[in-house]
Amino acid sequence: MSELPAAARHPVPAGRAVDLWWSAVPGTGPSPAGLACLSAEESTRAAAFRFASDRYRYQSAHVLLREVLAGYTGTAPGELAFGHAACPRCGKPGGRPVLLPASGLNFSLSHAGQLVVIAVAGIPVGVDTEPEPAGCVCALSTAMHPADAAVVSALPEPQRHRATITWWVRAEAVLKCTGAGIGHGTGEFPALAGPAGLAAPAGPPDVAAGGCTVRSLTAPAGYLAALAVAGTGGFGPVRHYGTPAQSEIAPVGRRLPPARLRR
Amino acid sequence: MTATGSRRPAGPGGTSPAAIAGELRRILADATGRAELLQLPADAELFGTAVALDSLTGTLLLREIQRRFGVDVAGEDLNLDALATLGTLATFVAERAAGTGRTAAPPAGQPPPGRSE
Repeated sequence: MSELPAAARHPVPAGRAVDLWWSAVPGTGPSPAGLACLSAEESTRAAAFRFASDRYRYQSAHVLLREVLAGYTGTAPGELAFGHAACPRCGKPGGRPVLLPASGLNFSLSHAGQLVVIAVAGIPVGVDTEPEPAGCVCALSTAMHPADAAVVSALPEPQRHRATITWWVRAEAVLKCTGAGIGHGTGEFPALAGPAGLAAPAGPPDVAAGGCTVRSLTAPAGYLAALAVAGTGGFGPVRHYGTPAQSEIAPVGRRLPPARLRR
Repeated sequence: MTATGSRRPAGPGGTSPAAIAGELRRILADATGRAELLQLPADAELFGTAVALDSLTGTLLLREIQRRFGVDVAGEDLNLDALATLGTLATFVAERAAGTGRTAAPPAGQPPPGRSE
């Protein structure tokens, strides 16, 4: 199959809405059919991982990305082409990954541990997830904006560790949304909403940061995640989806709508 | 040149690249919760796909190096060539840590040679 008729495609979220796709990494990686969708570059990159768990996570993330985007574009997963946008700071190539040819479909991919999450929107979007911290991550405080550092450092350990990663995924979601580059410039804007907003489980309210709007997400147990969209105008509806076999890692308390999935 | 600033032979603690590499492995294993990183070979690529350090772990590693050894890797090595492998990073840090007087912690259970806290 190559083209799905337009009526069968998953609609690109309108306005400032975002679709979020969650999936667990299978213990032995993607199926052979899934692996066959990967490009030569993706396959080569996957083969270079020293540890199998890293390889499976990378493969699963990129197979899922192709499958999800195929549902929106009507193009077969193995036929999607990806490139890189120009870096917004220096103009050179190597910025955020984009679908080719350019269209109104925006996406962001994040994977960590056994979790993959993909955000899809009609405007620039960024999503980031990390496992909850296993040990002390206080060294990251030097990467924070002073306002965020003040909030986090006031907390006792171990709450401070969780707050640090809560900050990190929010800052990263913003940087992925703007395409500025992962990990660079995390301290240039405050990403938290102040101490009151760190109370679990809701997380801080929507915050304008770095030219985007950011919010913490309720992620599967053991993970923290955040989502950002371009502009300071807030979010439209955020809808959550999961692949059928992985429903056990659906966000706590959230029911997945049936029959919304594309193959 | 003081005792803590001079080069030491490899051994528990000290500023040799081998000692630093051991410390880096412990930082990585602690940060990721992955014990297999304690066995990381010196020629393992850190930021290529081999070890799959993500931006969080990489940032944590550099900040920990700054905190423990007083060496600002990103600030001093704009091309980040020092980050090619575990071994190149350990050498880079060892060369500069010797100047700060800070040493790698010895393996658990052994006191650092000739120092008191």
